[in-house]
Amino acid sequence: MLPAVSQAATRCLHNAIGADDLMFAVKFREVALPSREDRIGIVAFGFILAQLCLLLIALRQFQIESAALLRLAILAFAGFAVHAFLPLRYRLRFFTLLSLGGILLVFGLAQGAWMIGLGLILIAICHLPIAFAARVMVLIAVAALLAAQRANWLPAPWSQAVWPILGSMFMFRLIAYLYDLKHEKPAFSPWQVGSYFFLLPNVCFPLFPVVDFKAFRRNYYDADAYTTYQTGVGWMARGVLHLILYRVVYYHLTVPVTEVKGGLDLAQFIVANFLLYLRVSGQFHFIIGMLCLFGFRLPETHHLYYLASSFTDFWRRINIYWKEFMQKVFYYPAFFRLKRWGATPALIVSTIFVFVATWLLHAYQWFWLRGSFLLTLPDTSFWGILAVLVVLNALWEIRHGRERRLKKAAPTVGSLSWVGVRTAGTFAVIAVLWSVWTADSLSAWWGLMSAASGPVALSARLTPTVLVAVLAVATTPLAIGNARLPWGRFAPPYRSTVVTVASLMFMAVIGLEGVYTHLGTTVANFILSLRSGQLNRVDQATMDRGYYEDLVRVDRFNSQLWEIYMNRPVGWLHGQGAALDRFTNDFLGTKLVPSTAFTNEYGTMHTNRWGMRDRDYELAPPPGTHRVALLGASTVMGWGVSDEDTFENLVETRLNKERAGQRWSRYEILNFSVPGYSPLQQLWLLGRVLEFRPQAVFYVGNKSESFSAAQYLVQVVRKKVPLPWPYLGDLVRRAQIDARTDESVAMRRLMPLREELIDWIYKGLVEGARARGAVPVFVYLPWAGEDPALGEAIEVKRRAAAAGFVVVDLVGAFGAEDPKMLRLAVWDTHPNARGHALLAQKLYAELQAHENEIYRAPTARAASGK
Amino acid sequence: MDAIKDAVKSYILKEFLPGEDPNELTDSTPLVTGGILDSLATLKLVSFLEEQYGIAVHAHEADVEHLDTVQDIAALVRSKM
Repeated sequence: MLPAVSQAATRCLHNAIGADDLMFAVKFREVALPSREDRIGIVAFGFILAQLCLLLIALRQFQIESAALLRLAILAFAGFAVHAFLPLRYRLRFFTLLSLGGILLVFGLAQGAWMIGLGLILIAICHLPIAFAARVMVLIAVAALLAAQRANWLPAPWSQAVWPILGSMFMFRLIAYLYDLKHEKPAFSPWQVGSYFFLLPNVCFPLFPVVDFKAFRRNYYDADAYTTYQTGVGWMARGVLHLILYRVVYYHLTVPVTEVKGGLDLAQFIVANFLLYLRVSGQFHFIIGMLCLFGFRLPETHHLYYLASSFTDFWRRINIYWKEFMQKVFYYPAFFRLKRWGATPALIVSTIFVFVATWLLHAYQWFWLRGSFLLTLPDTSFWGILAVLVVLNALWEIRHGRERRLKKAAPTVGSLSWVGVRTAGTFAVIAVLWSVWTADSLSAWWGLMSAASGPVALSARLTPTVLVAVLAVATTPLAIGNARLPWGRFAPPYRSTVVTVASLMFMAVIGLEGVYTHLGTTVANFILSLRSGQLNRVDQATMDRGYYEDLVRVDRFNSQLWEIYMNRPVGWLHGQGAALDRFTNDFLGTKLVPSTAFTNEYGTMHTNRWGMRDRDYELAPPPGTHRVALLGASTVMGWGVSDEDTFENLVETRLNKERAGQRWSRYEILNFSVPGYSPLQQLWLLGRVLEFRPQAVFYVGNKSESFSAAQYLVQVVRKKVPLPWPYLGDLVRRAQIDARTDESVAMRRLMPLREELIDWIYKGLVEGARARGAVPVFVYLPWAGEDPALGEAIEVKRRAAAAGFVVVDLVGAFGAEDPKMLRLAVWDTHPNARGHALLAQKLYAELQAHENEIYRAPTARAASGK
Repeated sequence: MDAIKDAVKSYILKEFLPGEDPNELTDSTPLVTGGILDSLATLKLVSFLEEQYGIAVHAHEADVEHLDTVQDIAALVRSKM
């Protein structure tokens, strides 16, 4: 009886955990032996789920990517929990519906419905009961219509935010799908097709690996479920690690182009620039890892690409899905057509064809994601040079062969050192090429390279050699591991399950405030810096510039600034009616159009007869009136808010309501601010401003004062605008810049002199105001979310005080309010109405605190109005 | 069938795996997914198959499904003979 009871108990336990075999192996992963390939035991499921929870904690602690990703991850992991126990025949349907649900979750019902509807139309066209060629023509016609809408030539009833994701889902996968449709006997189920195009992670990632439809079908639950799921967890963990490493590079290693002064700066710039690609590999690993959770055992997307030991090796390792897509759709068809010419000519032409196609398809991708084409000389140069290197490398491989092994070989010191040197050399060449690709222009790139010349030429010559040597030594141990592993697309889980769990635990724990704050100030500040997705100072300055320039080339796909710009609607706040400003043929460059009304979605901006965005005023102040002349740029002008909501208007109204009739009978604030004005333009404008006889001149500045001044000086020099002060001519001569100097080179040369320039400007403003009896006041205007202890801000205020300004500090105006709620939009950090209201409160309070310095008792002249 | 597999194995060992133990190359050794056959090697292999057996391999057949293992390659050749 006892054996029978024992057997019964065993069967019950067996059924409970879903395992045919109750043998719990010593190795940790074997605890999860499934009964069938598509099923997972309850213990294994719990183990996977625990890792996913750690992943969620890490995503949250480090604010990886966006809040939408965290929501999507929660949806995906919860979906996994249900999906893993569904009968196999229902899982694909469940995943498809989950993916559609993800679209609705992120985009909302209306926009999500548009996206799904458009996608279904495109899929339906592929299956029209007409000849294949005709279907392709119909697709091209529909794509042309969509392109016209994307380019804003035709209206579209859906939000701009739909385009990047819709484009990402269909721009390449439609090509891959059509290829298989043409060459396979299509027995695809609607669920296969739906899940392929509306892949769940795609809703959060506009940059997406080109998943092959054949591989997508072939690899679906083709191995045991636990291995597939664990591989997915490992890749998601690796992806998050890449994204955190990316932040280390982005915040701490990138060097602004204007600050590259010598060989070491140049090396750091080049290497950090290349390392920023970690963002793409991080995202792609995360995406494919998430798909593994739903049974899609897809291969890895990148394989140790920084350790490529040749150019062909690099092409094979970086963005493997892209390489496979190009190989399948372009390379092999071209080669097979051309092979009658002979193998070598066919190879050369086909390879070049692939790189030309890659170049064009990148521009095509950019169009769908950004709404404009990107075909620049740096792009062309990058793909052209890489094509030549890959062709030459391929010809060399044909002639000399490439080492391949079926088993791990015992490495020798010599072979490994040689691999290390080749790896370092490949890294260095690709990194330099990468700097070409991301440069604004070839002349800017050349100017950057020439930063390595000059007084530090010796270190510049030594630096590349030292860099290659260091990389060779550092990569040799990695090359050992690399050489031993057979290069495979279906790599085992991230080294081992133990490493995955350890890394997840580390990332989850180290990001907890209660942990890192106990690790010392330096470590705590370092970890804190990695815990947010804010722009670094380089990108923030670029975005500030972006309001006044059409930065079509803004960054590459891996930049956070690029993603912000991707969502920026074309013609953002351009509005209706007459233009707000016009060009002037003088040092100012632009000014506001007088007596105009400019309307956009945030209200109407009126300018008075003097060309101020303000109510109307007389030239001379009325008797007993305290008049302030306000100098500033777009925020001070009130960009994006209506007339009543600007902080200037709010303060003026409040002064007249609460203070009129005391020391002064009336208060006026005349807003001379113009979007884009730099400190130099403000100095030039001062003469005009003083004609209005203010009692005080309020100059509003921010942390980028000296940079902004230098930038404007470079612009006017390059445009050959006459410089109104001899000092500027002298400064330009000392910096050795003229109209022919490339912008980035000119900025680099002017950087050491920018503080001298801003001191001179401040002195000019102070002396100019005082000469006409006006009190010079410097108002420091912080951005929402700006660090109150920012060094640059403190330095600006110190220089203003040293020049003789009364300094009014608006730091703290925004309190503890969420900066995101105080801006016009993600891509526009100008304060909204609430932001202006807070600024007004703070300014009013500061004016009270400085009342005696600013609001001196009226003189007889002021009292009489003469 | 065995003759085709033997011929394919011999070619792969001679062209791409010189010096390797022939016993390590089995009918199911992953060639494409295992990194033995990259694009250049795949095209050479296709050229060999076409010359050896007088078949025509199309571009869309030069993929994992048809060329990943010796078994797959032999099946492709058989299907065209």
